[in-house]
Amino acid sequence: MIWFLLVLYVAAASATATLGGRLGRNALWIAAVPMAATALWSLTIVGSDDVVSAGFDWVPGLDVSILFRVDALHALLSLMVAGIGALVCVYSAGYFTSGAAGLGRFAATLVTFSGAMVGLVWADSVWTLFLFWELTSITSFLLVGFKHTDPVARTAARRALVITAGGGLALLAGFVLYVDAAGTAVLSDISPITGSTATAAAVLILIAAATKSAQVPFHVWLPGAMAAPTPVSAYLHSATMVKAGVILVAVIAPAFQETDVWKPLGLAFGLTTMIWGAIGALRHVDAKLILAWGTVSQLGLLIALLGIGTPKATFAAIALLVAHAVFKAALFMVVGEVDVRTGTRNINELSGLRRSMPITFAVALVSGLSMAGVPPLLGFPAKEAAIEAVLGLEGSERLLVGGLVIGGAVLTVAYTTRLLFGMFGRSEPMPDRRVAPSRPAMVVAEVVLAFATVAGFVALGGVTQLVRSAAVLVAPKAEVYSLLRWPGLTTAFIVSMIVVVLGSVVGVAVARRVVVGGPAARGAANVDALIDGIGRAARRVAGRVQHGSLPLYLATTVVMVALASAVFVVEIDADALYWWDNRAEAVLVVMIVAAAVAATTVDSRLGAALVLGAVGFSVAGLFVALGAPDLVLTQLLVETVIVVGFVLGLGRLATRFPTATRLWLAGRIVVSVLIGAAIAVALAGAASSPSGQPPVLDLATSAVADGGGNNVVNVILTDTRALDTLGEVVVLLTVAVGILTLTRTRSRRHHEPTESAT
Amino acid sequence: MIARTSPIVRLAVRAVTPIALLIAAFVLFAGHNQPGGGFAAGLLLGAVIVLRTVAGLQQPRHAAVFLAVGGVIVGLEALTPLLWGQPLLDQVVVSRHVPLLGKVKTGSALIFDLGVVAVVVGLVIAVLDGFGAASLVDRGRRPIDDAPVDASVDTDSGRNR
Repeated sequence: MIWFLLVLYVAAASATATLGGRLGRNALWIAAVPMAATALWSLTIVGSDDVVSAGFDWVPGLDVSILFRVDALHALLSLMVAGIGALVCVYSAGYFTSGAAGLGRFAATLVTFSGAMVGLVWADSVWTLFLFWELTSITSFLLVGFKHTDPVARTAARRALVITAGGGLALLAGFVLYVDAAGTAVLSDISPITGSTATAAAVLILIAAATKSAQVPFHVWLPGAMAAPTPVSAYLHSATMVKAGVILVAVIAPAFQETDVWKPLGLAFGLTTMIWGAIGALRHVDAKLILAWGTVSQLGLLIALLGIGTPKATFAAIALLVAHAVFKAALFMVVGEVDVRTGTRNINELSGLRRSMPITFAVALVSGLSMAGVPPLLGFPAKEAAIEAVLGLEGSERLLVGGLVIGGAVLTVAYTTRLLFGMFGRSEPMPDRRVAPSRPAMVVAEVVLAFATVAGFVALGGVTQLVRSAAVLVAPKAEVYSLLRWPGLTTAFIVSMIVVVLGSVVGVAVARRVVVGGPAARGAANVDALIDGIGRAARRVAGRVQHGSLPLYLATTVVMVALASAVFVVEIDADALYWWDNRAEAVLVVMIVAAAVAATTVDSRLGAALVLGAVGFSVAGLFVALGAPDLVLTQLLVETVIVVGFVLGLGRLATRFPTATRLWLAGRIVVSVLIGAAIAVALAGAASSPSGQPPVLDLATSAVADGGGNNVVNVILTDTRALDTLGEVVVLLTVAVGILTLTRTRSRRHHEPTESAT
Repeated sequence: MIARTSPIVRLAVRAVTPIALLIAAFVLFAGHNQPGGGFAAGLLLGAVIVLRTVAGLQQPRHAAVFLAVGGVIVGLEALTPLLWGQPLLDQVVVSRHVPLLGKVKTGSALIFDLGVVAVVVGLVIAVLDGFGAASLVDRGRRPIDDAPVDASVDTDSGRNR
């Protein structure tokens, strides 16, 4: 079933990618099929003890295998990923107009992303996880940059890619160290490891998770990613991709909890992010950015809870993970609908939408209050569990972590109130704006998610069962915890009620402010400047190295060859060398040397070409003397074609060589002598120490036996070493394509000078 | 250049062409047991094309077609054994008794060599094309009557280009 669903994803992606243009919005329905199927199948696993696994050995020698395992936790995550994905497809059908450009591309990328995410949550070996992790980074890049003509979107996409792909590298390094320390790549075999390797792996993996899950200071890509179409934000940047880091931390935590760095680093990332994200959310007036920063803050809370690592905190984290996915996706959808129907997302321009968009308002209210942690909604018991978990800590930890989490919760309530109040509250009529008619597909998706938020609270027992069966796979002791509909007048409940009241007051107070002050966030600009700087430096280096001067390239190569062959000087054994096999060789060598020297002194180009031809033909004669008829034939033909090529090419050049300066001449002589000496040294070195039998004897017998031919040279070419020949054919092809391309470009420039001028 | 205008040269090249083709074919088939092979045969054919181009009998064209066909043949020959679970480029030797020729022994290496021939020919054509040999042909095609005048003009213009 696992394979069937993954193949379904591939099929849907191929279909939408190839037929996209003709399908219009139907492409989105095709994209929804694998997601809906995955969600339904996940429902059969979720909350039970069933385990389904699949996999194969990918690179047996390196112990790299592709493994999938669907247990209660993985099924819960894939239910979330695929279920929200299907709803996003429905929503997109309303978001995009039927004639929107690139719908096929959009659907194909979205479904590929969804497949990658499902693969990621089902992964049971670190290599599988890494593979799909990178795939989500790439598809996310494509989706953020969906409006590829918009420079803002392009910059944002590039920023997201550089940060998340950089995290991917850290992840790869971390996994390599982890496998080295743990001795296994299989995630279900996880066991605690310690030591310096484990510590390094823990740091690297936490950094990777922080880049993906937008933890300070890597969070800067997430608000920029809001340049993507809103369905993408609702899917990737709330419910799924940004959760990948959290999921990674959750599944790998049992291995690292005993290392010294895991908890402090996790808490540092999480708590800083939670507070900074919430402050960011209060600072913006674009509703989508408020949600984006809110997401940053929530991700911080999740990472912090997993960093604490107590069973209670883990349990709370998984509950919150699910609750957050549901309400945040709904809120993004609401903002997208408001944007489409009114033309703005600025909360200072919007007002009183509760009358003109009542259903949307209801969805926003339910989801927003769930985010704030107000009963009777799914967010409340999850938040309650989180607060209880931090209050359960001891000593200074309780004070610090507890204080920050509660402070973050206050800010969360504040920005939620501000968002809801800004968009739907107040009653002054909106100037110059009419509200466009509602689009049913968008409303359906929103309502389903809002319903899930309410139903999750009503059927809290069931949700508890799902979360608990998932949480015990990470922290076995979590099985004693439950989500409570009415916890009674516990400390946690009183604290959360104070949080709600305090937060609402703050939220209403700042709602009318244009922008909340504080130090400006310049991270995104700095990252862009860094990327641009690297690009400029790379261009400068490339400009230096790839200077375009053929003589200098040649000189560089020759010097390198000379350096490489210098070591052979010590190998030369003068006694083992002799002058010639027969005298004809000596005569030919004299001819070759004479012709080569002549080539340097001839001052007409045609003369030089002919003298070089003489060198070549003399070499052919040398082959005759050595008894190599194949080489003779080839050498003669090659020389013929080369001389003709020279003569043809010379028609385009001046007849004589340009005069060269003394220095240039000296340089050329040095380089020529150097290459001659280098080759001579290498050959003499090789000839000095023959080892064992010459390979020709083996080759001669195997040529007849295996290759079925008596010409050993050709059997080597076409059979024994046919792979080399194949490589040479590829080289020939490349050269030919290069020649064709170069000459075509030149002739086009020659014929149409105006084109290059414009 | 005399080559482009002399009827003797053009006639000679025309007469040599089939012989050279025959030799190329021989070199290709002989390659397994005697000196020769795909590379040599390709160069021979290339030399024929060079001669014909210089004599103004032919335009160096369709380099890309030769290259593509050669590349595909070589690639397919290399990959086909994989279908039967054999290693890459594994060769099959066929030995049959053919009327008139006696015992003929050949193998899949011949197909590989054919691909090499096509690639080498394509490369030669690409080089000719790249060096602007096409312009030689245009001038060579002019009526032979005004050849002497043409030749003197040619050398100048060819140089100034």
